[in-house]
Amino acid sequence: MGSLALLVLLISARQTQAQEANAKYPSMAPLDQYLMSDRNAEIALARSAAPESISRDAEILVLGPHGYETTAKGRNGFVCVVERSWMAPFDDPEFLNPDQRLPLCLNPPAARSHLPLTFKMTELALAGLSKTQMFDSIKAAFDKKELPIPEPGSICYMMSKQQYFGRKYGNADPHLMFWVPKTDDMFWGAGLPGSPVYVHQYSPEPITEFIVSVSKWSDGTAGPTD
Amino acid sequence: MNREIVKTIALRSFALVILLSTGWQVRAQEAKATYPSMARLDQYLMADRNAEIVLARSAAPESISRDAEVMVLGRHGYEMAVKGKNGFVCLVERSWTAGINDPVFWDPKIRGAICLNPPAARSYLPITLKKTELILAGRSKAQMSEGIKEAFDRKELPALESGSMSYMMSKQAQLADSVGHWHPHLMFFAPQTDAVTWGADLPGSPILTFGYSQDRMTVFLIPVGKWSDGTADGN
Repeated sequence: MGSLALLVLLISARQTQAQEANAKYPSMAPLDQYLMSDRNAEIALARSAAPESISRDAEILVLGPHGYETTAKGRNGFVCVVERSWMAPFDDPEFLNPDQRLPLCLNPPAARSHLPLTFKMTELALAGLSKTQMFDSIKAAFDKKELPIPEPGSICYMMSKQQYFGRKYGNADPHLMFWVPKTDDMFWGAGLPGSPVYVHQYSPEPITEFIVSVSKWSDGTAGPTD
Repeated sequence: MNREIVKTIALRSFALVILLSTGWQVRAQEAKATYPSMARLDQYLMADRNAEIVLARSAAPESISRDAEVMVLGRHGYEMAVKGKNGFVCLVERSWTAGINDPVFWDPKIRGAICLNPPAARSYLPITLKKTELILAGRSKAQMSEGIKEAFDRKELPALESGSMSYMMSKQAQLADSVGHWHPHLMFFAPQTDAVTWGADLPGSPILTFGYSQDRMTVFLIPVGKWSDGTADGN
């Protein structure tokens, strides 16, 4: 078992290194490019992830040079935050794209169990670690149970018309995301023809993300029809 | 009428439109008068077993339902009609799965086609089967409700498993007189949870919720854009 584990580790490290070599953004851009100079604009962007009825009472986090800081205390247990591209999957070509802006509002279970991952990844990115080092560090943190697995009912809203995933997907569409402990796609019938449920299998995080598109942006306007 | 009952009537029968209209109370009373008690059993059954299989399967895209177990309603309860391979179970629920205060509770036309994922098949389906068993044995609404409560208390019914969800995307379903097949949607079953935990039922939220204390669950409902046959929801 020990040699099998080592083999898996070496293969995954080699895959990550290969991805790193081929990546569009092989390393961090200057920090300023990830920050938003207008703090109020970041607060507004974070809030736009969910309908106002949810986000107006949510805690708001903004990214500073040393990590996320609370700018507005919440009252409903939701937390809204603009995630950056280091929260994209490690194999995503947009990983470390400084233009990416991913506003999301997390419900209370997700705030407790997903945000620690956001904070950890942000800490690693701001410390200037390479993608391989980040990958290894996150894997070790889960292995040592320093990072939690998703609590039951962990969801988030991504309904901001201003969200930006990068050149390929642009604003994408308004959607909800559900995080569950690693499971197979068929658990929710995801990724099959005609299914309204999409799936992303995290790696090395032991997390499965199910995605359900919704019809409207947080401002009430209609989303893309297809 | 307390808030829970109003919500139950409005959402379980998918009659949000009724709630929003000025005459909803009158219509709800009319519905109560229309279906005051159980109709003849034949009216709840589908004579064509194959049609019931097709209807059950239409709850989810074919990629899911073709390998699902399918159950159909017989005179003594649900029976397995097709063995499954993917852990999903599709069936057509009848009106008694609604809340006991719901005006459609005895509506023999209700055909709630639903495909349950594996955790829901293990932990939600037993509730439907138990309710059906009690109703077909001639129990009243109140007796059925009490029977479900006792079954939970005696742990004959399992606790809901995490990740329990279902597809209700059939264009042929009939969920209430007022709304017909309503909209294609997904339903997520959770142990009793405050709607606010999911941001449900708030202005602009794409998530609706309903629940009955007897079932010890909260159901979160998310409309999706297409029916199981791939056509767009026109409304």
